[in-house]
Amino acid sequence: MVTAEVIIKNKTGLHARPAATFSTTAAKFKSDIKVKNLNRDSAEVNAKSTVRVLTLAISQGMRIQLTANGEDEEPAVDALVALIEGGFGEL
Amino acid sequence: MEYRGNIASPGIAFGKSFVFKPYIPCAEQRSLAPEEVEQELETLACACSKAREELSAIIGRLSIAEPDQADIFAAHQSILDDVELLEEIRQDITVNLHCAAWATRKVYHEFSALLQEVDDPHLSERASDMEDVCNRILRCADGVAEVTLSSLPESCVVVAVELFPSDTVLMDASKILGLITEQGGITSHTAIIARAYGIPTLLGVKQATQLLPTGTGLVLDALEGKVITDADDTTMEHYTALREYELQKREIAATYLEKPAFTRDGVRIDVEANLGSAAPSALAAAGYTDGVGLFRTEFLYMEASQLPDEQIQYQAYRAVLEAFENRPVVLRTLDIGGDKTLSYKTLPREENPFLGKRAIRLCLDEPDLFRTQLRAALRASACGNLWLMFPMISGLDELRAAKQAVMEAKAELDREGLPYDPEIKLGVMIEIPSAALIADLLAKEVDFASIGTNDLIQYLTAADRLNSEVSQYYQTFHPAVFRLIQTVADAFRSGGKDLCVCGELGGNPAGAAALIGLGLRRLSMSPSSVAEIKHLIANLALTEAEEAGRKVLTMSTASEIEAYLKLFVSEKIKAEQKV
Repeated sequence: MVTAEVIIKNKTGLHARPAATFSTTAAKFKSDIKVKNLNRDSAEVNAKSTVRVLTLAISQGMRIQLTANGEDEEPAVDALVALIEGGFGEL
Repeated sequence: MEYRGNIASPGIAFGKSFVFKPYIPCAEQRSLAPEEVEQELETLACACSKAREELSAIIGRLSIAEPDQADIFAAHQSILDDVELLEEIRQDITVNLHCAAWATRKVYHEFSALLQEVDDPHLSERASDMEDVCNRILRCADGVAEVTLSSLPESCVVVAVELFPSDTVLMDASKILGLITEQGGITSHTAIIARAYGIPTLLGVKQATQLLPTGTGLVLDALEGKVITDADDTTMEHYTALREYELQKREIAATYLEKPAFTRDGVRIDVEANLGSAAPSALAAAGYTDGVGLFRTEFLYMEASQLPDEQIQYQAYRAVLEAFENRPVVLRTLDIGGDKTLSYKTLPREENPFLGKRAIRLCLDEPDLFRTQLRAALRASACGNLWLMFPMISGLDELRAAKQAVMEAKAELDREGLPYDPEIKLGVMIEIPSAALIADLLAKEVDFASIGTNDLIQYLTAADRLNSEVSQYYQTFHPAVFRLIQTVADAFRSGGKDLCVCGELGGNPAGAAALIGLGLRRLSMSPSSVAEIKHLIANLALTEAEEAGRKVLTMSTASEIEAYLKLFVSEKIKAEQKV
């Protein structure tokens, strides 16, 4: 299992397009990937589901936790962290 | 008959109504026999695949011309392909033996309710996207083709319950004279589309789709907020003339948008923009204004979920400065309290928040919060022409304390070797009557001031601007407002310091004419008012404005002043339109 904590940098947070990009990227991996909004102390949801990710209401400046479990857990977390660090092209 | 509604986009339209009814999928709730499960799963898969094809085609058509709209449909595609949604729908079919349509609707409603539970305005919009996608799947399951506003038979006033992004995609705006909807707020999709295309629009017209069946002749008055169905000849004549006049005025005003503003007798007036964000749409004002007379910084604090750090602020400020190159950008330090609160910070609960610990009062009491903003602003000042303005100053004590805080922040940056503009101009917002009355004293200790008329009027007339019970006492054209502005204008002129008006009075043609007459040479306003005000200025001689200003100072009531100024302004504009 691999986990990582990361702060959302892009302006619109994980609403709309970035949420979709996030889930589409997660869906490319075989591992089971969960995401949690640490600021709202939310439940863990399936990172591959755009709508579940939306329900976490993740805005700019919030801290989220990623947890992946499976054969490609490491590249999965790396790819998602890179996406967030890169600000979804909004920076 | 007359029906009332809320104006989403102003203007006049008349013509025949066309009731736009998107396909309503039959809400079948059929239980399955176990042997039908396979077939229903197949139905679902086919409907989803058809929906996916439709969305790809829409995105393909939009991706170049309307990338923002294409994003909406890309989001729809990711909802459609959501693994959890699909899995729950399949479960509902297999386990609960619900037919595909029933299961789809049920699961979409459950997820949409989850989104609406979260306290976040963005998410309620996403819930409406989900409804849009759900309808698409159900329609595809019924084998019905999509109907949108892209192919209207003839020019008409479109009447609908509410419009969704799918309805307006590739909409032929040239055939839509006006829009009337039963639902939707000022920030709804309908309202955004209406403003983007400049279509006269009323929202919240109750039962409009029943009261205005297709073919009803009507007048849509989106200046007064009403729909008239049985207009007689006199009414029609009135509206024909009014519409002609409005269109002509708008067209002429648009030609002034990008030109610098000079009065008819050649006096330059700086027309600046009030900005409330650093988004590209806001920065577009750099193309046609002389600077930013009021850069509100609250958005950084209100849209975030925690206090924005120095770097986030610095980047936002820098973006605005760079967009406006060397033109002045007046950054107002945080104005929180009153009607503005922060979700993540507990502010004191007060009996009278507008008279409480608001703006500079809060900042001086929270030195860390204030220092972070001052450091970010000072650092940004190295990249452009930044002026720093303190809100809610009532006297010299707060001003001196705020200036002291700037000195300390500068000293910190010096120690760290970080660059800033050492000549940065410091000023105050004049919005409290006590500050206006000591304008001469303030002028000695600041580089500039800006009159915030919205709050100044509220404090001057003791009428809460958010309380509709006392709205008749909140008088924009109250004689006291003009007397006080004159006091401030005279003090700053003799002190040789810059003065601007950044309240709504400056973006109102009647108000702007009087302000110029009282000696103002800088007006800052919402970007949407710029064309109209520049148009007015070009038709106004300073001598005429000064005479109007003098007259206003002799008048006794707000209604007298307002009527006089409106007539004065409309005569200036009309004179040009006849040519």
